[in-house]
Amino acid sequence: MSVAQQPSSSAIPTSAPESAAPEEDIVLEVQDLHVYFYTQIGVVRALNGVSFKIPRGKVLGIVGESGCGKSQTSLATMQLIPRPGKVESGKILFREFNNQEPIDLLTLERNSDEMRNIRGDNISMIFQEPMTSLNPCYTVGDQIKEAIILHQGVDKEEAHTRAVDILRKVGMPNPERIAISYPHQLSGGMRQRAMIAMALSCTPTLLIADEPTTALDVTTEAQILELMRDLQREIGMSIMFITHNLGVVAQMCDEVAVMYLGRIVEWASVDDIFYNPKHPYTILLLRSIPRLGSEEHIRLESIKGSVPDPYTRVPGCPFHPRCPSFMPGLCDVEEPPETTVDGNARHTVRCHLYT
Amino acid sequence: MVNFLIRRLFYMLVTLFFVSIIGFALIELPPGSYLDSELQRLRQLGGNLSQSQIRSLEIRYGVNDPTYLKYWKWVSGAVRGDFGESFEYKKPVGELIWGRLLFSVTLAFSSLIFAWLVSIPLGVYAATHRYTIPDYLITAMQFIGVAVPQFLLALVLMVFATTVLKQEVGGLVSQRFVNAPMSWEKFWDFVSHLWIPIIVISAGSTAWLTRVMRANLLDVLNMQYIQTARAKGLKEGVVIWKHAVRNAIHPLVMAIGGVLPALISGEVIASIVLNLPTTGPLLVQALIKQDMYLAITMVMFLSIMLIVGNLIADLLLAWVDPRVRLE
Repeated sequence: MSVAQQPSSSAIPTSAPESAAPEEDIVLEVQDLHVYFYTQIGVVRALNGVSFKIPRGKVLGIVGESGCGKSQTSLATMQLIPRPGKVESGKILFREFNNQEPIDLLTLERNSDEMRNIRGDNISMIFQEPMTSLNPCYTVGDQIKEAIILHQGVDKEEAHTRAVDILRKVGMPNPERIAISYPHQLSGGMRQRAMIAMALSCTPTLLIADEPTTALDVTTEAQILELMRDLQREIGMSIMFITHNLGVVAQMCDEVAVMYLGRIVEWASVDDIFYNPKHPYTILLLRSIPRLGSEEHIRLESIKGSVPDPYTRVPGCPFHPRCPSFMPGLCDVEEPPETTVDGNARHTVRCHLYT
Repeated sequence: MVNFLIRRLFYMLVTLFFVSIIGFALIELPPGSYLDSELQRLRQLGGNLSQSQIRSLEIRYGVNDPTYLKYWKWVSGAVRGDFGESFEYKKPVGELIWGRLLFSVTLAFSSLIFAWLVSIPLGVYAATHRYTIPDYLITAMQFIGVAVPQFLLALVLMVFATTVLKQEVGGLVSQRFVNAPMSWEKFWDFVSHLWIPIIVISAGSTAWLTRVMRANLLDVLNMQYIQTARAKGLKEGVVIWKHAVRNAIHPLVMAIGGVLPALISGEVIASIVLNLPTTGPLLVQALIKQDMYLAITMVMFLSIMLIVGNLIADLLLAWVDPRVRLE
């Protein structure tokens, strides 16, 4: 019998939040999502049972190293997993309005009208590379208008007015001019603002931001993050914020999910993640951030080893080969179940230290 | 943009000036002249020719003039539209080539448009259905298209047209229309004669352009902005044709510049096999017979077409891709 089947552990995360907050308004709920890539040299298990919830108007940060499945989680939500990837199982429940019966996005056909109506209208996305995420052949205004015309059914002139408005809203100087500019005429920060404008043009319920500031310099990054935070409060949307930068998480997020090898290993409020981290991986991640004011000439800690190659399956806890608290005979055999920390239903961890 | 055009036109004139000098020198380079073959013909006809007769012919044809003088004679006339007289045909060069040139250009452009119409959809289909059976079939056809020699393709199509379609082939129009006045019937007959040369001439470039289209589109489909377009909720067809193809089509546009002269030189064999009155066979004949004014004039016109083709390609590219536009 596997550990995951134990009644105590599986019952806690589902029953506890219900009693704590029975009317919680969840915009997006991902349940046990598995995404596999069937490549010629073998199966890559990109996501192995990812589950999380994003409440309305909140920002969930998804943190992890490269290749841990952050981006695949976001693409699965949009139903844009590239070939040869495939969603194996799981549910992605989306509620546009409170108390609405949720739609399981995975039951919709990938290119169906229903799915396309959700994409870009209810859920929109900002990508990592502002340099390449706008089409070089069309003006910024045309690309924003395209979404507005598609989802809001307005004529070209009205769409243009709205596009200029949204460009002004994201802090573009001279938005009329920007609207008739081509992407190559704008700087990286400006392009990312244009991307944000495009993503927000239809006032989405959920915004997925996949490392939106990774390619920008720090001053631009700060401006973009502040802009996103302001607009999030103004529109009241939820954000799935994907990043590997814990500093950005502290600035942006309400809740944090830490991912490792296609699983969420710890989920907590942003305060708990920084002041009361439980999972050894989270603790090590936090220790590897360089800090101002720390003593000079102290070597920055790094996590030993590296992410195992994607074709192999690690038995037991996926982190055990690199874990300082590795318990032989347990961690490399049994996969740890999701456990609540100190009875706090809003802080869960997957580690044998806490079972 | 106007500045750009004026500058380009100026460069074109400079290029043509150098082409005319080099072309003229190259045509003058082989020993002997048209007169040698003409004398041989006259000797066969009527026995010996006296030295004085030869001398007067030399003066009449001007073959012993220095090269710069011949060049001056030709170029001063050419700028006024008088390209001299063909030795062989005893006719003004202009009169000889206009019709053929027009037909060659028609054929080249029809072939290019045919190549585009076939290669763009096929390339897009192959790229969006990579590693499926239709993709492999298209790939196999491309290799055949590149590998089959034009004369063979021309012969096969002629046999096919005469035995299966019961169509008259060869030449521009059927025998019964040769001396008939222009009419819709004659025009239709002309069009039905055109398809064989178009296929023969464009087979190679179609195959090549399909390959290029497929490879480029595969690159573009991996670009982030394609993901952006999909994330907007656009239909897959719009994503492909509006956002991807426009970014993948550059080499096909640039092909106008390169394909046009290739089509014109490539049609020589097809024209000989199909008995078509294009510039190709005429140019080959003129070079063999050292009919120099005819040869240099045709070389000049082919150069003009090459340069104009490139200009059109550049303008089209600027229209397709704003990054190429000059600020």
